[in-house]
Amino acid sequence: MQSSPNMLTKFESKSSRAKGIAFHPKRPWILVSLHSSTIQLWDYRMGTLIDRFEEHDGPVRGIDFHPTQPLFVSGGDDYKIKVWSTQTRRCLFTLNGHLDYVRTVFFHHELPWILSASDDQTIRIWNWQNRSLICTMTGHNHYVMCAQFHPTEDLIASASLDQSVRIWDISGLRKKHSAPTTMSFEDQMARSNPNQADMFGNTDAIVKFVLEGHDRGVNWVSFHPSLPLIVSAGDDRLIKLWRMSETKAWEVDTCRGHFQNASACLFHPHQDLILSVGEDKTIRVWDLNKRTSVQSFKRDTDRFWVIAAHPEINLFAAGHDTGVMVFKLERERPASAVHMNQLFYITKEKHVKSYDFGKSVESPPMLSLRKLGSPWVPPRTVSYNPAERAILVTSPADNGTYELIHLPRDPTGAVEPTDALRGQASSAVFVARNRFAIFNTSNQQVDIKDLSNSTTKTIKAPAGTTDIYFGGTGCLLFINPTSVVLFDIQQKKELAEVAVSGVKYVVWSNDGLYCALLSKHNVTIVTKTLEQVSTLHETIRIKSATWDDAGVLLYSTLNHVKYSLLNGDNGIIRTLDQTVYLVRVKGRHVYCLDRSAQPRILEIDPTEYRFKLALVKRNYDEMLQIIKNSSLVGQSIISYLQKKGYPEIALQFVQDPQTRFDLALECGNLEVATEMARELDRPNYWNKLGVEALAHGNHQTVEMTYQKQRNFDKLSFLYLSTGDQEKLARMAKIAEHRGDFTSRFQNAVYRGDVEDRIQMFKEVDLYPLAYLTAKSHGMTEEAESILETCGLTEDQIVLPQVEEPLKVAHPVVPTFKNNWPVKAAGHSSFEKALLGEVGAADEEAGADVFDMEEEEQEAVLARDTLEDEEEDASGWDLGDDVNVEEDVDFVNVESTDAGAGGSEADLWARNSPLAADHVAAGSFDTAMQLLNRQVGAVHFAPLKQRFLEVYKASKTYLPASAGLPSLVNYVRRTVDETESRKVLPIIPRDLEYIATTALQEGYATMRANKLEDGVSIFTDILHTLLVNTVSSEEGVDQARKIIASAREYILAMSIELEHRALGTDDEADLKRKLELSAYFTIPKLEVAHRQLALMAAMKFAFTHKNYASALSFANRMLANGGSAKLLDQARKIKTQCERNPQDKIEIDFDPFAEFDICAASHTPIYGGSPSVSDPFTGAKYHPQYKGTVCRISQVTEIGAPASGLRLYVPSQF
Amino acid sequence: MDPFSAEGELLNIHNAFHQGQYDNVIEFDTTALSPENQLPARVLKLRSKIALGRADEVLSEVSSEEDTPDLAATKALAQHTAGDADAALQLVQDLAENYPDNVTVQVLGGTVLQAQGHSEEALALLSKHQGNIEAVALIVQIHLQQNRSDLAVKEVQTAKRWAQDSLLINIAESWVGMRIGGEKYQAAFYVYEELASAPSTAAPLSITGQAVAELHLGRLPEAEAALTAALEKYPDQAELIANSIVLNVLAGKPSTDLESRLQQVNPSHPLLSDIQEKSEFFDTAAAKYSPKVTS
Repeated sequence: MQSSPNMLTKFESKSSRAKGIAFHPKRPWILVSLHSSTIQLWDYRMGTLIDRFEEHDGPVRGIDFHPTQPLFVSGGDDYKIKVWSTQTRRCLFTLNGHLDYVRTVFFHHELPWILSASDDQTIRIWNWQNRSLICTMTGHNHYVMCAQFHPTEDLIASASLDQSVRIWDISGLRKKHSAPTTMSFEDQMARSNPNQADMFGNTDAIVKFVLEGHDRGVNWVSFHPSLPLIVSAGDDRLIKLWRMSETKAWEVDTCRGHFQNASACLFHPHQDLILSVGEDKTIRVWDLNKRTSVQSFKRDTDRFWVIAAHPEINLFAAGHDTGVMVFKLERERPASAVHMNQLFYITKEKHVKSYDFGKSVESPPMLSLRKLGSPWVPPRTVSYNPAERAILVTSPADNGTYELIHLPRDPTGAVEPTDALRGQASSAVFVARNRFAIFNTSNQQVDIKDLSNSTTKTIKAPAGTTDIYFGGTGCLLFINPTSVVLFDIQQKKELAEVAVSGVKYVVWSNDGLYCALLSKHNVTIVTKTLEQVSTLHETIRIKSATWDDAGVLLYSTLNHVKYSLLNGDNGIIRTLDQTVYLVRVKGRHVYCLDRSAQPRILEIDPTEYRFKLALVKRNYDEMLQIIKNSSLVGQSIISYLQKKGYPEIALQFVQDPQTRFDLALECGNLEVATEMARELDRPNYWNKLGVEALAHGNHQTVEMTYQKQRNFDKLSFLYLSTGDQEKLARMAKIAEHRGDFTSRFQNAVYRGDVEDRIQMFKEVDLYPLAYLTAKSHGMTEEAESILETCGLTEDQIVLPQVEEPLKVAHPVVPTFKNNWPVKAAGHSSFEKALLGEVGAADEEAGADVFDMEEEEQEAVLARDTLEDEEEDASGWDLGDDVNVEEDVDFVNVESTDAGAGGSEADLWARNSPLAADHVAAGSFDTAMQLLNRQVGAVHFAPLKQRFLEVYKASKTYLPASAGLPSLVNYVRRTVDETESRKVLPIIPRDLEYIATTALQEGYATMRANKLEDGVSIFTDILHTLLVNTVSSEEGVDQARKIIASAREYILAMSIELEHRALGTDDEADLKRKLELSAYFTIPKLEVAHRQLALMAAMKFAFTHKNYASALSFANRMLANGGSAKLLDQARKIKTQCERNPQDKIEIDFDPFAEFDICAASHTPIYGGSPSVSDPFTGAKYHPQYKGTVCRISQVTEIGAPASGLRLYVPSQF
Repeated sequence: MDPFSAEGELLNIHNAFHQGQYDNVIEFDTTALSPENQLPARVLKLRSKIALGRADEVLSEVSSEEDTPDLAATKALAQHTAGDADAALQLVQDLAENYPDNVTVQVLGGTVLQAQGHSEEALALLSKHQGNIEAVALIVQIHLQQNRSDLAVKEVQTAKRWAQDSLLINIAESWVGMRIGGEKYQAAFYVYEELASAPSTAAPLSITGQAVAELHLGRLPEAEAALTAALEKYPDQAELIANSIVLNVLAGKPSTDLESRLQQVNPSHPLLSDIQEKSEFFDTAAAKYSPKVTS
């Protein structure tokens, strides 16, 4: 027997003896009934006592939660059964009837029944809805210790000290009580006489089987959740397993091991296990199939009395002499590892599976690890090595074991691995492509091993190390209870240490720069050199964490998914209804494994943390994006922004003027503040604004706020200090009007206005002062007149000797004219981004007009370039045959006799009949030969650029030994190919590039009317396609379409360019011009572009009074449909022309005939007349141009014999 | 004890040299080394200087110590690098005759011989080595340059039996892998990535390797990211520029700027001379064709 390494205690309580336990089916609650008459309600997750119920007298033995209703029931030694509400926490009613201790009480899973077992030797069924006793089962002739309903069928099992277990059939009772249709007389009879046989001798409950086998009293009995099995525990220290059929029941086996009375037992709800507890102070776990002990757990002093299982999650509770413990049998964290886009994990069946994040699909099982460790112990960790496609799995069984297994390339199901290498270790982790480290706690030693499992190096771990983790390339992290140490394997030395206690898991960020250390309640983020970045504390257990690509840590607690930024800011993202283990975040999806090791995807809203991250990184564009695209407002984000010192950003979110005002002041945005103050218009806001504006030196705003506040004194002083004499004078006027002499005096002083001062003194009868002022300013006349008024003479007054009166200084610079240079507030880069954004949006809107979808092109296929290539191909096949032998030769070389071999480029030329491949191989001459044969190429100069481009892209330069030139390697498009006869070069600017980029650029020039550029772009497209390869038949078709389309555009654009080059003065020129503008409408352009051509032609014809032609163009435009504006014009012109559908100048253009345009002369080739075409582009020419270079492609010879361009060889792909 | 084994005191300087961290090699503190390792360490430092283009400095440094074959071999390499090819060749051939068993003579002699196109002689000299990884790496490279990847594979396989752990063997295996392709690209990528990602081993050499592997794997955006970052850090690395040119061409982007930059940094780079040669070849080949009628 093995002691219990896996029993994980989640909660323990201290109390008197616990006799009954019940789990709440949904909430993390547990009810414990105690020998001391109390019932406790605990939250075992938080470890808190929620409530106590103390209405029973004496010990309470039976307790049960209702599976769905907010009820629980208890039964005690006071003979009473009490039903309680979990909502009001009150006893609802009491069921009386038992005549002795009640041992157990249980709810029925669907009927409103309670089952009780009592020392009065009866088992009773009660209806809790009408609070009545509906059945009493007699038969046991000693205390009934336990009675339970069958989880699905109408059966009851009971255990009694009479040494028997009885199985009762209660289908009669159900019949009687289930939805009475018509209450017959018999029914009524039966109802009124419970527990008596009806007239046919049927009773409500009959004994179906009596199971005898225990030779002492039986304490407990339990049904299996799905199988017809029963388990019982007795004072004979045995756990007995029974099986039953429809007609009989028999003993299957006995589990021996308890060395004292066995008090209770049950089946594991999900696994083939039996759990039992006894007075020998042990909890024992048995294998249901082998009836052998799997593990046991012993308490030192406390006898166990009862055990209960959570109905859904993997939790058990056992009651003992001093309380209750809640535990689980095994770790539920599924072992998993993430690499790039793949998750590797081990299921409950111990199958290795992978999960593709991109496609969201699970792989079939790849391996079965059934034999790893012991059967009931799940693997603890898995480490993945992408280079070798191997996994390293550890299991805690047998003091820690590991296995190194290669994953099969093509999984064929859950097969046992054949090449597994094993060893003893408590931890094992890959540290490099071909190395892994294992750690043994027992000898504190780390062995570095290679992939053949042989030790290459041994390291003594720092004392107290409990676990190791990957520490970045070539490094390990040693975890000990108080710190984490970074260790360089190669140099064998400690690089850094960080004091973080109780670290359990280490999670590296995707870029390997940061790592999160998870302990039970803390997350510490450190850099890869173990410098602490931030730390945070959670009151609830932290389960797992993973990094967002942007460097945000997402972690899960028991009931939340949260985030933490590097700076420690954190918050809740969403709640969880069950514990999950995060493995990956991608956009709005959080990938995780649940406790049954199933991958799940959680939807989250990453807006908040993205925003905060953008804020920290000052990535204003992204913030803007977020603000625009989501409803990110609310007090929390505003206060966050304010707190973090970004009031100017918070300002963007706020509508409320008061908050806006405050924020604007905080960030010094006076404009906004003024605006808001106007809106609010209350003195204290003006005051605040004034103070702030003054601090800014923004005196214009200050002036306004003083005006608003009617703060004349300050206003005057402001005018004085800004030198605004005019306004100061006005202030004086105002003071005069207001009759405020103090103010008037002040203003007068400010202005140096002596007269006004004297005048004022006189008005307030302060003649002495008036006189003094006048006198001292040398205004003798004025002084005398004052004296006169007062009736005094000069000699009566003694004046002190005064010096020259002070002159009021005049402002040197009239600062009032301009505001002081103000701090450029209010244009943070964020706001600039906002403004910029608006601008960009406008431009976009403008561009949108021309945006058109890439529709299926109706370009005519160049029929004459179709596959007439037998001759050519066979020629090349011959070449291949010859080469085969050389290749064989080449491969078979065994001797070391030296001598250079052929380069890969040579192979390319041999392997492919496509011109592009020859170009890439540098074999320009053969490439030209091919092109000449395929499309009659004769003038190669325009292709030079393309040739060199393809060639340039064909090889890379890998620096190798110092002093020697770099190794040249050849870039392949067949990346997965190693067979030298199949390797082929990569060709830059492939079909996809042309279709998605170049073609669009070409169209854009058409829209933008840059025809010269357009011609060169489309010509370039033709050249690029000419030296190219495609990967499928569809590709060939698409390439043909693009060639045809490019041809039409080049033709159209050249016609229009010729049209533009001509003047209108000469009659002949005008005629030609009219013709050309008509021909411009003939090439098969995209509809939108043809409309442009038609428009131009129509207008031109109309202006030169060729109404008939104009009319035909207008009609064609209307037939094409499209933009309303264009159609309007067409309609107008149509009506105009219909009045006089005559052409003024006769032109060579028949709107009703089908014809092609000669690409050289730009004249029509009507159907039936002879023509020659270009073998590459298919452009048509008058016969006299045969043998010249095609005007469209500029490379090929018109009318040359050609087998057709080859871009694709089926066998290559 | 093998001086280059995992426990040897020359391991770090040796690794630094092969990772292309020449500055680190030169600054490496060799005072603590045991006497018998002083000379190899000094040779490595001299070679680093040569690799950094300071051949003249090396020449003057060793001029008085030509009696030591190791230093004489170094001198030959310096002469070769400085452009004095004939003298270098002469010296190497002498050394190869007199001290064929000297490790430094083998490696440096092999380098000079191969660089001057005497591959057979180089192989003959190198094949005399007694378990010297550097010699193996050189042999591998010579085989690869001769397009004999089969022989290169064999050489690596043999060497891996006794030096599986060696960094240089791993790198040499990547060279071969890059030639073979398929899954080996990925394996090579891992080797270079491992080197490039660890700050202590990151150097233009490893980053170039990583980017080139990405290129071969068809992962252009990743390759571009690696190259762009590396170019910012080491703007004058010819190989980085050359591979960036290849990348830009593959991605359909203009590469003229880079080409002129390469022209400045290393006008004799194979990419440039190759293109030049091919351009002339194109003109001659194209001259054979003409339209029947010239318009």
